Amino acid sequence: MRRGVGLLLVCALAMGGAPPAAGQPTSQPSALRMAITRDEGALNPYTYQTGYPGWNLMTLIYEPLFTPDADNIPQPWLVRQYTVSQDGRTWTFALHPNIRWHDGRPFTADDVRFTYEYVRRNPHSRWTGQVRTIESIETSGPTGLTIRLNAPSSGFAAQPLADLPILPRHIWENVANPRQFNDVVGSGPYRLAEMRDGQFYRLVANDQYFAGRPKVRELVLPIIRDATVTFTALRAGEIDTTVRPLAPEVVAEFERAAGMRVARGAGYASTILQFNAEHPVLREPKLRVAIANAINTRLMVRLLLLGYGVVGSPGYIHPSSPFYNPAVTFTASKSRAVQLLNELNYVDRNGDGIRDLPDGAALRFTLLTLAGNPVRIRGADLIRSWLRDVGIDVRVVAQEDASIIAQVWPDFDVCKGRRFDMAVFGWSAPVMNRTTALRDLFHSDCRQGTINIGGYRNPALDRLGADLAAAVDPARQKQILFEMQKIVAADLPVHTLFYQDGIYAYRPDRHAAWVYQKGQGIVNKLSFIDPPRR
Amino acid sequence: MWRFVAGRGAQYLLVLCLTVILNFGLPRMMPGSPMVFLAGEDVGFLTPEQRAQLYALYGLDQPQWRQFVTYVGNLARGQLGYSFQRGRPIGEIVRERLPWTLGLVGTSLVLATFLGVALGAVSAWRRGSALDLGTLGVAMFFESVPSFWLGMIFIAVFAAHLGWFPIFGAGTAGAAFEGWGLVVDRARHLALPLATLTLITVPGMLLIMRYAMLGVLGEQYIATARAKGVPEGRVLRRHAVRNALLPVATVFMLNLGFVVSGATVVETVFSYPGLGRLLYEAVLNRDYPVLQSTFFIITVSVIAANVAADLLYPLIDPRVRRR
Amino acid sequence: MSTLAAAAGLPAVRRRPALGAAGWAGVLVLAALVVMALFAPSLSPHDPEETVGDPFQPPSRAHWLGTNDIGQDIASELIHGARISLTIGFLAAAIAVGIGTAVGVVAGYFGGWTEATLMRAVDLVLVVPFLPLMILLAAYLGPSFWNIIIVIGALVWARPARVIRAQVLAVKALDYVEAACAIGCRHGRVIVRHILPSVLPLALAQFILAASNAILIEASLSFLGLGDPTAKSWGTVLYYAQARNAFLSGAWVWWVIPPGVLITAATLGFAFTGFALEEVLNPRMRGRRGAG
Repeated sequence: MRRGVGLLLVCALAMGGAPPAAGQPTSQPSALRMAITRDEGALNPYTYQTGYPGWNLMTLIYEPLFTPDADNIPQPWLVRQYTVSQDGRTWTFALHPNIRWHDGRPFTADDVRFTYEYVRRNPHSRWTGQVRTIESIETSGPTGLTIRLNAPSSGFAAQPLADLPILPRHIWENVANPRQFNDVVGSGPYRLAEMRDGQFYRLVANDQYFAGRPKVRELVLPIIRDATVTFTALRAGEIDTTVRPLAPEVVAEFERAAGMRVARGAGYASTILQFNAEHPVLREPKLRVAIANAINTRLMVRLLLLGYGVVGSPGYIHPSSPFYNPAVTFTASKSRAVQLLNELNYVDRNGDGIRDLPDGAALRFTLLTLAGNPVRIRGADLIRSWLRDVGIDVRVVAQEDASIIAQVWPDFDVCKGRRFDMAVFGWSAPVMNRTTALRDLFHSDCRQGTINIGGYRNPALDRLGADLAAAVDPARQKQILFEMQKIVAADLPVHTLFYQDGIYAYRPDRHAAWVYQKGQGIVNKLSFIDPPRR
Repeated sequence: MWRFVAGRGAQYLLVLCLTVILNFGLPRMMPGSPMVFLAGEDVGFLTPEQRAQLYALYGLDQPQWRQFVTYVGNLARGQLGYSFQRGRPIGEIVRERLPWTLGLVGTSLVLATFLGVALGAVSAWRRGSALDLGTLGVAMFFESVPSFWLGMIFIAVFAAHLGWFPIFGAGTAGAAFEGWGLVVDRARHLALPLATLTLITVPGMLLIMRYAMLGVLGEQYIATARAKGVPEGRVLRRHAVRNALLPVATVFMLNLGFVVSGATVVETVFSYPGLGRLLYEAVLNRDYPVLQSTFFIITVSVIAANVAADLLYPLIDPRVRRR
Repeated sequence: MSTLAAAAGLPAVRRRPALGAAGWAGVLVLAALVVMALFAPSLSPHDPEETVGDPFQPPSRAHWLGTNDIGQDIASELIHGARISLTIGFLAAAIAVGIGTAVGVVAGYFGGWTEATLMRAVDLVLVVPFLPLMILLAAYLGPSFWNIIIVIGALVWARPARVIRAQVLAVKALDYVEAACAIGCRHGRVIVRHILPSVLPLALAQFILAASNAILIEASLSFLGLGDPTAKSWGTVLYYAQARNAFLSGAWVWWVIPPGVLITAATLGFAFTGFALEEVLNPRMRGRRGAG
């Protein structure tokens, strides 16, 4: 019996050890190894998983018409030239003539039209909303394209033009359920050569690329879930870089390490204290301001981020953003917190050290946070102790992500309401880059304020949100955004705690031409290929 | 005999049915929604109509009993469906992952059984000696060590510090080794997770073997064999060990069923692409189809191992055969 | 499946050894840890909840084991952690053995359909993958300190149930129990007077083994991020050490090794005591540890 089992296992090992499928070119020693954190599906527009780095990697294979530059300004990429009509509603494009799909077929304006219509029919969380402003699309010849909008749109160049990757019509035409379709033929500088579930992806340079040869011949993306293991492998030279930003506590280590270089820049990802603005007590702005006054965000940055971060701006917008309103400031003060709480007549009535509401109930809240993020749990714990100091009782509950989301953002649908008091939450960098970020975050209509998870409502802000969507002039946009930040800072529907810097380590002898995209980091197309000449 | 087999068969069938129901129900009872994996990260930007369209596409708009009927029907036809998260057929994913798990956990079980039997036999044979106490002490230590802790320390010492072994993965990512190079690469990656898993599995086997040996050594026939002048080594191998193997074989068979479920913790620590990690990620991602399928495969193999143990039992133990 | 384990029944050991050196060593280690837990406030140099220094400090005279990622004293965390970890061990084991004993006694004593049903439930618990069940329960109940205890308790009762049932079957066959039944059999009375006393020592051994198991499970859950990260158990200390990259900076010597050693010591203490007790009390000992 034992011998039989042994034999079985030998067979199993042999199966695991089977060489990669025949016909695939083998890896070269020159391959750049960049660790990622999880599986990203088949890396096509409907199966990639994460906004970062999934979208950044996927767009190396499937390309949008425009691409954000290092300052996140959308620049034409597949488009040779374009014009916008006086009324801002008609966009006319001329595509580069020599673009080809990875299978050799020519890339045409018809593919673009097909894609914009396809995402309308097959809901995609990221793009279906973006193409809603499009009234009609017409092609003229293989490279001519005219898009007409039903209203001028301030963010059209950023989204969808620089966001929605184009699909090859001849392959996707008859695909009914794109989420179960695993083809990976794109037009980008890289093609997918190999994919191993739970192990790695291998991308190789597309030598026929219209804008020239990519700077790196081959990209290997090993999947490493654990942060410590990733950093250990990086230091040991088993990988050359990682999409994972360095944790604050290891930055010094990597700055010292021989053969490593560290790139550091502003990070647009935020960490916020989210209030439930529909909560019977927390709906009072004065209470939210009092709570914010009790929280020492400066100490948080020093303690939790070891200084590698920026204290949160009360208007949500990062100080490095072109839309940041420097007139909006906030300085926390414990005595101010106490004063505000007293003014609200929340005082301790039964001598237990906890303030009570006028009806006698204790001022007591639950603070939710994600169990997978130690910085946030520690942050929540600090908030708990500081609020305790001013007489507010907080219980911290840390749970795995899906369970927290189920309470804070049920079904990821703001229209479905919410079941929480406060949460330490955060938004990724792309949210900051959207021109419409403040409307998305705070508009009271759940179809416009699509990430207004606190259910905040303020008619003045709603009006500004409507103005913003229609504004095409950048100066006017900026003016509206300045106003919106003032309202947010006064009402504090969320209290922005801090923005963690984006710090990335890499081995310059393996690849040095990294481009740091503002607020986002080094994992972007510009690090691998120069923009096409006009 | 036949009545026994039929009764036993009915019991297994019952357990199987119950697990199929549980496999369906458990994932759906978990709070949280798989929506984000159906629609992507920016799921907040979908309109309610588009959400409904997506739910309908995956049959999630149907009443639970309907979904259950569909699930059982597909299962009966051997269809595992598509992963919500990856959009790939589950059969394909499992085929990619299963060999790694079988290789890691299976090899470790076999290794641990041999080591456990050998050490347990010697330990019992030299009962009370320094050797026995030393072996027991070491075994109990590894029985008590948290596996992730042991694994992390192995990585820190043998991989990061000494550089003897790679830090992560089951093979050098993207490298295309052939022949010996491939075997060496795989073996180097297997070494640390295998060592970790084996070290924590040996003690259980060792203790059972030692205990069984102590029982056997007290039997009359051992004394008889010794009295007849049979050499000690021969008594040990021929008489004692052979008769003490029965409980070890039983535990081995039972553990064999769990080989498929992988070793979530060890696989996580070493970034090993096995089924244990797949299951864990599916739980976190609320990937219902993957959960159902992996649950099902695991329970079926556990039950199969039990059936196999039941059937093999009379072959190993002459006393049972006579009954 | 259940009868399989019973049929595998290990041959009886003839001599009944005393608790033995190993057993006493286990008791000693446990006693030391319990003392540490009881007198934690006076033993620990700092308040473990208080930020008392800069984060990520190496050991110094003020902080024997350095400070953690928010400047709390690691030594104090570990001393207080004994309370949480041991409490989790004891309570989870109590729940597990409570359920296990009840199921085992009822199944063994009444036999027939009751037994078949209960033992099928035992099989089911042993067959269903442990981890998802754990996450499900943890997510369902919320990962508070108490819920972790309930979850662990609710999942490790199956083994005690099997062992106890086997013992009950053996006891039931004894003459005096049959005699008690012959002169008018009242179930409750027989169970309380004859069955329970004979299984209690065994339940005690099972309790101690389950406690050892529970401490390990809690540590693993915390490592996977499924524990309660706000309760300062040894497992939680390890979670933060690992999450804040102690392995990379050399901090693992004072941040990772000590909690691991404490977990091992507690588990070992329980295990030595438990195995020694089991050897003394149970002629049909069997031990098993899953591959996962």
